[in-house]
Amino acid sequence: MTSSRRDFLARSVQLGALVGVGVPILQACGSGSTSAGKRQTKTIADGLQPEKGPLRILNYDAYVNPDVIKDFEAKFGVKVEITTFTTDTEALTKLASGAVKVDLHHSMAATSINRLIDGGLLQPLNKSYLSNSANVVSKLQDPWYDKGSTYSVPYTYFGTGIGYRADKIDKATVEQQGWDALWKATSHKGKVSVLDDEREALIMAMLRKGVTDINTVDPTIINQAQADLSELINLVSVKVNIDAYKNLPDGTAEICHTWSSDLINAANGYLPTGAEPTILGYWHPPAGKYMVTNDSMGVLANAEHPVLAHLYLNFLLDNAVAEKNFTFTGYLPALTKLDADYVVGKGLVPENLRNCVPTKDEIDQAIYERPLTTDGDALYEAAWSKFTAGG
Amino acid sequence: MFAMPGVGWLLLFFVVSVYAVMAVAFGAVDPILRTPIPAWNPLQWNARAMSSVLHRVFGGDLGTVFVRTFWFVGLSLLGCILIGYPVAYFVARKAGKYRGLVLGMLVLPFWISYLMRMMAWTNLLAPDGMVNNVLHFLHLQGPQRYWLDGNWYTVVIGLVYGYVPFFILPLYSTLERIDGRLIEAGRDLGASSAQTFLRVTLPLSVPGLMAASVITILPMFGDYYTNTYLTSGSPKTEMIGNQIERYLLGTSQPQTGASLVLILMAFLFVLMAYYLYTTIRQQRLADR
Repeated sequence: MTSSRRDFLARSVQLGALVGVGVPILQACGSGSTSAGKRQTKTIADGLQPEKGPLRILNYDAYVNPDVIKDFEAKFGVKVEITTFTTDTEALTKLASGAVKVDLHHSMAATSINRLIDGGLLQPLNKSYLSNSANVVSKLQDPWYDKGSTYSVPYTYFGTGIGYRADKIDKATVEQQGWDALWKATSHKGKVSVLDDEREALIMAMLRKGVTDINTVDPTIINQAQADLSELINLVSVKVNIDAYKNLPDGTAEICHTWSSDLINAANGYLPTGAEPTILGYWHPPAGKYMVTNDSMGVLANAEHPVLAHLYLNFLLDNAVAEKNFTFTGYLPALTKLDADYVVGKGLVPENLRNCVPTKDEIDQAIYERPLTTDGDALYEAAWSKFTAGG
Repeated sequence: MFAMPGVGWLLLFFVVSVYAVMAVAFGAVDPILRTPIPAWNPLQWNARAMSSVLHRVFGGDLGTVFVRTFWFVGLSLLGCILIGYPVAYFVARKAGKYRGLVLGMLVLPFWISYLMRMMAWTNLLAPDGMVNNVLHFLHLQGPQRYWLDGNWYTVVIGLVYGYVPFFILPLYSTLERIDGRLIEAGRDLGASSAQTFLRVTLPLSVPGLMAASVITILPMFGDYYTNTYLTSGSPKTEMIGNQIERYLLGTSQPQTGASLVLILMAFLFVLMAYYLYTTIRQQRLADR
C-alpha cells in the first residue's frame, strides 16, 4: 500500500516539474518523503573525515550570525550555503517534496520534529561528533519531543508572554492583570497584537481562562478561546503578526502577545536613537504555566555532507560561538553557561529584561505545545481562520 | 499550426495547473507530514474539503471574507476609474509631445518591487509619517490619524496605488485609437465638450474600460500582501487571498486552500464570461 502511494507520488513529481506552480502544489506533485536521494537511517560511523562541502543549510532568514558562518567556513575550509524559508510548514513541505536538498535543518519547531522523524527525513545523530552537547541545558538534553536527543540538538529557546511599552503601561498593572492586560488595553486601541500562530494565540486565550490542558482537542474549549480572541477585534483593534520586536520600539505597538526573545531583539537592535531599553517590559506567567519552547537543529536523512553537518552542530553548541551568534539573532542559545546572570552581566540583555531569559525552574516546569492529530490541528485551524476572518 | 505555441502555453500553464489544484482540493493529506496527497484520478476524488469550504463560504465565516474582498476590490476599481480614466485620457488626447515622457513615468513604479512599494507606504502612513505631517501642515487633520490600524480605506488606497498603472495602460491604448474626427464631428454638430465626451468618447472607450477593469480586478482578488503590509494582519481587513495563503502555506489543510482557489476562480470565471460576452457583442454590433 505504501509503496504504491510512493510510486504514485514519484510519478507526480515529473508532472509537477512541468506544471511549475507554487510550493504546495509542487509538494502535491512531489516525490514524497522517500525518493529524495539515499537515506541514512543509522548513525554515521565514528571518526570520519569531513566532506569538502559545501554545507547546505535550511534556515529562517537572519536566524544565524553571518560572522559565525564565516568562522565555520574558515575553520573547516568549506563553503556554507543557506536556503531560507518563512514558515515551519513551508520548510516541511520543501523537504518532503525534495524541492530543496540540504544537509541540515537549522530551526525545527518542537512540534515538527516528530513529523520529520516519523517521515524519515532526519538521520540519528552520532554523539561522538557532538562533544559540546554537554553544554546544553539539562532539561533539553533529553527533551520530550526527541528522547535522548537522538535526532536533534537544541538551537535556541524562548518563552511566550506579553511585551509592552513600560513608558506607557504600568508594570504593576500588567503583572496584576496577566493575560487579561491584552483585553483591558482599550486605551491602547490599534496598538495591541497577538502572535500570528494559531496554537500560540488560542493557548494564550485558554490560559487566560485558567485552562491547564493546553493541548486539548475539546471543540468547546477551542471555540471559546476563539470567541475570546475575537473579542479583541472590537475591544482593542487587535493585529495579528510576529513583529513585536520592531513594532514595540518604534511605537507602532504598545502591548503584544509575543516571544521573550523579541524583547531582547527589540532592546538590542530596534530602539530609536536616544531611547533606553527601560521603555520595554516583559511579563510571563509563573513557572508551571509558562510556555517555554525551543528550536532545534538536525541532519537530514539524505544529507550529502553528514559529517560536516555534525561538525556544524557541534560548532554551534560551543559556548563562545553561541554567544557570538546570540549577539546577532537575539535568540538565546539553549546552553547552561548563557543563563540570565551571564547574559545580563555581560550586557547582552538589559537588566530590566532579565525575565526574558527563562530560569532553570521555568524550563523544568514549562508547559509545552505538543503535536496533535490531523483532526485536532483542523479544529485549531478552523477556529483561527474564523478569528482572522473577523470573528 | 500557428496556434500551437498558444495551445501549448494554455495546456502547460493553465489547464494542467488548474487540474493540479483540483487534484489537491479533492485529494488527501499525508497524516505524518501534513503535506497534500493529490488525487489525480477523478474517480478517487473526495469532496469533503470542498463541501466544508462551500458551507463556510455560503453562510459561514469565509462568506464574510468573500463579501469583504468584493467590497475592497469594487471600491478599489472605482478608485482606479476615478484616477485612471482622466490620466489615460490626458495621455491619449492631450499630452502631445510629452506623451512618451508621461507614459514612461507611469511605467516607472514597475522598476521597484511591489512589496518594496507597499513597505514604503507603511512608512508614509505611519503615525509620524509624511502623510500625517502633510495633512497636519495643511490643517486638514485634527488628531493624529492611525492609517495602519486595520482600516478598510488604507487597504483600498494600497490596492488602488498598486494596480492603477495596470488600469491606465490598456485604457490609454483604447482612447488613443479613437478617431479624432468623430469627436470633431460631435462638436461640429453642436455638442458641448461634456456632451461630446459622454456621447462619443465614453461609449467608444467602453471596451478599453472593460479590459482595464478585468486586468485590474483579477489580480486584486488574489492579493494578500497589500493587506498584510498595510494593516499588520488586522482581522478587520482579512481578504480571501490571506485565507488561501494561510491554508496553503501554514496549515495541515492544503485541500481547504486549494478549494478556496477553485471557488474564487469560479467567481472570477463569471466576471470573465460577462466580459467576453459584452466584448463579442460589441464587436458584432461594430461589424454590422
